Amino acid sequence: MNDRVNRRDFLKLGGATVAGSAAALAGVATNAAAATATVNVKAALPKAKGPRLVVVGGGTSGLTIAKYAKKEYPKFDVVLVEKRDMYASCFSSNLWYTNLVNLEFLADHSFLDAARNNDYIHFNATVTGLDRDSRTVVTSEGEINYDFLVIAPGISYDYGRIGVTDPETITTLRTAYPGGFISTTEHVTIRRKILEMESGVFVQTVPSGNYRCLPGPYERSCMIASHIKKNKLKAKVLVLDANPDITIKKEGFHAAFNELYKGILEYKNSSGVTGVDLEKKILKTEFDSYPFDDAAIYPGVRAATLIEYLGLADPKSPQKEALISQLKYNVIGDERVYVTGDSRPHPYSKSANTANTEGKYVAKVLAARAQGKDISWYSPRTVCYSMVNADPAEAISVDAGYILNKEGTAVAGFSPDTKLFENRDVARGKATFEWARGMYRELFEA
Amino acid sequence: MDRRGFVRLCTGSAAALAAGILPTRAADFADFPKVRLTDAKGAPLKASALSSGEAYVFYYPYRSVPCFLINLGKRSTARTELTADWGSYSWPGGAGPQKNVVAYVAVCSHQLSYPDKDSTVIHYSASATELSGKPGMIICCAHASVFDPAAGGKRLHGEATEPLASIRLEYAPEDDALYASGLEGAQLVERFFKVYKRDLLEEYGAGVYNEPVRDTAAAILLSEYTKSVNSC
Repeated sequence: MNDRVNRRDFLKLGGATVAGSAAALAGVATNAAAATATVNVKAALPKAKGPRLVVVGGGTSGLTIAKYAKKEYPKFDVVLVEKRDMYASCFSSNLWYTNLVNLEFLADHSFLDAARNNDYIHFNATVTGLDRDSRTVVTSEGEINYDFLVIAPGISYDYGRIGVTDPETITTLRTAYPGGFISTTEHVTIRRKILEMESGVFVQTVPSGNYRCLPGPYERSCMIASHIKKNKLKAKVLVLDANPDITIKKEGFHAAFNELYKGILEYKNSSGVTGVDLEKKILKTEFDSYPFDDAAIYPGVRAATLIEYLGLADPKSPQKEALISQLKYNVIGDERVYVTGDSRPHPYSKSANTANTEGKYVAKVLAARAQGKDISWYSPRTVCYSMVNADPAEAISVDAGYILNKEGTAVAGFSPDTKLFENRDVARGKATFEWARGMYRELFEA
Repeated sequence: MDRRGFVRLCTGSAAALAAGILPTRAADFADFPKVRLTDAKGAPLKASALSSGEAYVFYYPYRSVPCFLINLGKRSTARTELTADWGSYSWPGGAGPQKNVVAYVAVCSHQLSYPDKDSTVIHYSASATELSGKPGMIICCAHASVFDPAAGGKRLHGEATEPLASIRLEYAPEDDALYASGLEGAQLVERFFKVYKRDLLEEYGAGVYNEPVRDTAAAILLSEYTKSVNSC
């Protein structure tokens, strides 16, 4: 069964695209706004043995670029700066909630081994500033000079998009009802909620805009519903989706909702959250109010706040994403600094496979430019599996590419060879795990 | 292992590769003990009796390395020049009476997915699939890669960039027998051993997982080898 993803579905994601291109012509991100604190404490790193490429962020994008830039141009001296002390993937985390995988599956991967296997330096620190004039990245462990810099810090939550701006409510929301799309500690909490569930309504929200992991909230809802069904709990999952319909693999998800979880999972489209009453435990939408017992509240997504702090955000971007070249990822006006991964403004799906394939392309761009050359654009690839049943484990998937507009200046849609595989089955369920294992091998092995 | 089979990429070679000059190699395919292919019970396989509907799995050149044996049916093969990140080589074409029996290491060159007893995402599909678009392809569903077994395991689509490692087959027409005798793509097998070391040690034991196969190798249908074959 093949289903074409149509242009309308695609453009719903890309609100930022046109704005990004226009802003790109309008001006450059200035260095003046960057938070700098050059305190002359040098990071304890060996002297660079070649042009130094500093990669900020050890998620899928950063890990890919550190490895492949070195492969493409072995003269690079690559340093990966990551703030976490240990790794755990966000991808596949939904599968941990119902014990389809264990925590080791997500976390038994060492930054140290990744760096040694791929001939780069791992540096555990948080970036606190950037001075593009002196080409210095300031970190919590000292300054690092760069010849090329990639910043791949991921996303941050934007609670303003669900009508919440006061810090008191935001703090309660992110600690008591975490979204579960950024840090491992959120996953630990959400999993605990599910495994301790006895009865009541559990709400999973789906934000508008180009949020990280399009199928993620629907997949998680399926996992929770599957858990409720298996354990015969007097509980329900309520999916409050801000979008007019499921944003990806919709036939497959609707089929699962209707065929597997009738009476357990209720899906409400066009029901974006506009406010929260924490005392009464009510989520408000434009026309309705929904009481809840527990929830994973996924508010809007924006580029990681670091992008804004470093003065690299596009002021016109609704998700405060970076002001960068659509085709080459460099900061406008600065071919030494690049932003990749989910902080990008492109309408690509914000997902691991996208970041990985994009990262290999950006690695080639960096290698070429370090040698005074350049390369032509080619599309990243979004291969993505979603588990819609936990018992047995059955999944659906997509294999998508992207194309540019007629002028060749910006990303405009899915490629004609994009394929949806929406008939859930056990074999595809097994492929879901193998996709992830392959991704860990990609990022951490040679 | 025959050292002719090894191409060690040092900085110089990598630079040469980048400049379009490929490292010189004494010969393609490293030699390994010549091994007769048999069925699950140990009776010699007959090339003309091989099913063309799906691949067989046998271990070669080491006890833990799974390979596909494929009768390509109506598809014909020809000598194919291939370029991999380990060097340039010539794949001689298929073996057997119709020269359409081929063998490859059943480990995806992208991120090393391979068939285990429980399931496989990499398989041979005699008929066209959604992803392959044409019949007779090796497909790895993990990241949507497609390889052509009639052209030396050349990569056609998806995230893999390198061809599959190939196994040299020899045919003895007097008894319709097939033998495995060589490997092209030692680098991939090295990666396989490194990445899966914990699993291989647990399953086979030290010194066993990397012991060369000798005398005979049993080939069984993939659908019998594993419980679940992914299709895409």
